[in-house]
Amino acid sequence: MISALFYLQACSGWNRILARVRRLKKPKYLVGLLFGGVYFYFFLFRYGAAGSHSRSRVTVPTFGDLSAYAGAIELLAALVLMMFLLSGWILPHERAALAFSESEAVFLFSAPISRRTLVHFKLLKSQVGILVTTLFMFVISNRFGARGSPWLNIAGWWIILATINLHFLGASFVLTRLLDAGWGNRRRRLAIFGVLAIAAGAILYVARDSLRLPSEAEVSSPRAFANYLQAILGAGPAPWLLYPFRLIIRPYLSREAATFLSALGPALLVLVLHYVWVIRSTVAFEEATLAMAQKRAKLLTAARHGQLGIINPKARRGPFNLNSTGPAPTAFLWKNLIAAGNLFRTRSVVIMLIVLVTVGFSTGMGSMRNGMGAVIGVLVAISFLWSVMLGPLILRYDFRSDLRSMDALKLYPLAGWRVVLGELLAPVLVLSVIQWLLLVFGVIGARLPPGAGSFGFQERLAVACGLALVAPMLNLVSFLIPNATVLLFPTWFQPGQDQTQGIEVTGQRLIFGLGQFAVFLVALVPAGIAAGIVVFILGQLTMPWTIAVPVAAVPAALVLGLEAAAGIALLGRIFEKFDLSSEPPA
Amino acid sequence: MIEVEGLTKLYDAFVAVEDLSFTVRPGEVLGLVGPNGAGKTTTLRCLSGIIPPTRGQVRIAGHEMSSHPVEAKAALAFFSDEPRLFDYLTVEQHLNFIARVYRVPDWRNRAGSLLDELELTEKRAVLPGELSRGMKQKLAIACGLLHSPQVIFFDEPLTGLDPYGIRRMKTTIQRRAQEGATILISSHLLHLLEELCSHVLILKNGHKIADGTVDEVTRRFSAQQTDVSLEEIFFRATSDPVVPPAPPPNPPIA
Repeated sequence: MISALFYLQACSGWNRILARVRRLKKPKYLVGLLFGGVYFYFFLFRYGAAGSHSRSRVTVPTFGDLSAYAGAIELLAALVLMMFLLSGWILPHERAALAFSESEAVFLFSAPISRRTLVHFKLLKSQVGILVTTLFMFVISNRFGARGSPWLNIAGWWIILATINLHFLGASFVLTRLLDAGWGNRRRRLAIFGVLAIAAGAILYVARDSLRLPSEAEVSSPRAFANYLQAILGAGPAPWLLYPFRLIIRPYLSREAATFLSALGPALLVLVLHYVWVIRSTVAFEEATLAMAQKRAKLLTAARHGQLGIINPKARRGPFNLNSTGPAPTAFLWKNLIAAGNLFRTRSVVIMLIVLVTVGFSTGMGSMRNGMGAVIGVLVAISFLWSVMLGPLILRYDFRSDLRSMDALKLYPLAGWRVVLGELLAPVLVLSVIQWLLLVFGVIGARLPPGAGSFGFQERLAVACGLALVAPMLNLVSFLIPNATVLLFPTWFQPGQDQTQGIEVTGQRLIFGLGQFAVFLVALVPAGIAAGIVVFILGQLTMPWTIAVPVAAVPAALVLGLEAAAGIALLGRIFEKFDLSSEPPA
Repeated sequence: MIEVEGLTKLYDAFVAVEDLSFTVRPGEVLGLVGPNGAGKTTTLRCLSGIIPPTRGQVRIAGHEMSSHPVEAKAALAFFSDEPRLFDYLTVEQHLNFIARVYRVPDWRNRAGSLLDELELTEKRAVLPGELSRGMKQKLAIACGLLHSPQVIFFDEPLTGLDPYGIRRMKTTIQRRAQEGATILISSHLLHLLEELCSHVLILKNGHKIADGTVDEVTRRFSAQQTDVSLEEIFFRATSDPVVPPAPPPNPPIA
């Protein structure tokens, strides 16, 4: 039977690869693959593939030679591994469930397949994820200075990850048995914490003579602190307590074939013991697996609609009364603001405004006002910048959340540009309001650091007014790019389908990320020129810059508005020709 | 009125529909039938303006879809087999949104009577996620009928409906046809089409095999036989020389 399941897994994987290869007939995917491949090579694999000779020519930040701290590293890593594995006994609160998709659960649970075979299939399936994670961990660790043969590193990571996978599965089976025996989550957690407390007390008692705080000299350098840690962790029962976890880690930490081979046997023994434990302790997992598969599918769909972690939305009142007459884009604004949730209601905005104004005023009064003001200033500046760059990626109440209803949108008796404008309004408004709140906070609370001169209320107000005028139009331009992506590459966003993976998709996203940045800069140039001309003219008229800046923001906003209008008109035409069914499946 | 001339839809080299022409007049109900992959759904999506045809002309209530899509779409409603609803709008909010998009001035009165007719009044404040499959279909119907469309497209309208829902859907279709709407139904349920349709169009591999009134098409494929069902006509028109035999009648239940 396991051969049939292996066949299922192999065919699914192979067909997925074939579909992706076929998709490369479209230039946009081929270009994405090339771009993504180049990116992965230069930023990750180059370091992994490079030998010691070529590595010396690659300048990357590393943690340097860590061989002097090998003992401390092994003990620390074992400690981290132990804590991580312990979380598998403390955190879970539901019955054991195997990570199957809904289709797999329905097909496999109704087929004449034993539970043990299903567990084997789950272990087989999880190997795909383990191998990908192994490669990723190898590349990351190698990039930051891990030494030794790449193959030994990869094998070491695989042993660690495979053991963790088996341990969590085995723990979930045991926890399910405990649940069946009447041990609720609270009782079980209390018992575990009790055992841990007793164990910690015993360790402290046994090692009471060797335990001490580090001296001043021991925290003076990383090497001295590592020596201190090695001395503390190496004393008493800790090395013995951590022994099984050290066995799991040792192959990865081995840098030569001989030490690797000597560490491999005990590590594989731990792995095999875990496997035997899992296979011999299967429990009823069908119901929980099905429930988990449905929950994951819902979460995935919700996440692709911009609703992270929300499975069951709640009915909400409209943000305003929508009359049946008036511009149609307002209807989309109304609809998408409902989807955006309670955080973006007028009442919420007023409450946030009151809180920010109160905090801003109170921090500006005390003796620490310059220090706190500088912190607020930096926070506001960074947040504003991030909001401009990341806002369009995070707020997805536009075509990205409506792709599933695209047929309905295309049925509406509206010109394409009206639909595009309508879809853009809600996220632009939400982001602009957030930015305005930030600016209000900055005007009231921000100060320059002590000794850095003066930046008074009038100056802060001038800059904030300028930014407040420009921000909505800038946001409108910024949101055009991800929405263009939806209309040009709809398969990236299809809910409930595994179509958003692969180097080619990463490449496409990088292209669009760079494109977004480039469009952003290009859009800013005419606006900057317009603002610059106005500032120059007003400067010639000896007008103070605190007036010139907000005045100059008006033509800048107008130019950005014109650019956005041109973009909306173009996207409208793309929307009218949009045909989801012409996209190749993958 | 629906007027179609030379409609062709290609996906790269694949021909989904080729050179399709027909007319449906007000009050007529046309049944679009054909085996899987015949091009029925593609045809409906082209006619309703969801996807652009590769070639050909489509006129809805006298408006050319390619040059005047707004006017054409204002006159039609399309009901897909899977109701397309917004997850975060309640039943009433759906109707409010549609009223603004289609500019329906007295939408509250119309929505009230539609919700009553479709037994959705008690579900006004409920999200689609809390509705059953049949209820979602009813909500989609309420949204589609709110602006009193002159042309209505149905794609597998009975999918997932219980017997009550099926009867209600049939009544809705018949009533709209009697009121003068032009209706096109795509379905595999031939008995439904036999019951509801005045005309039938048979598609196979994207090509029209036959069209006309139900009687005309029946006569063409009946080979002088009487009482030939639409199901039999369908098999004769669309199958290869070897036609699957009709199944024997079920034995009486003891």
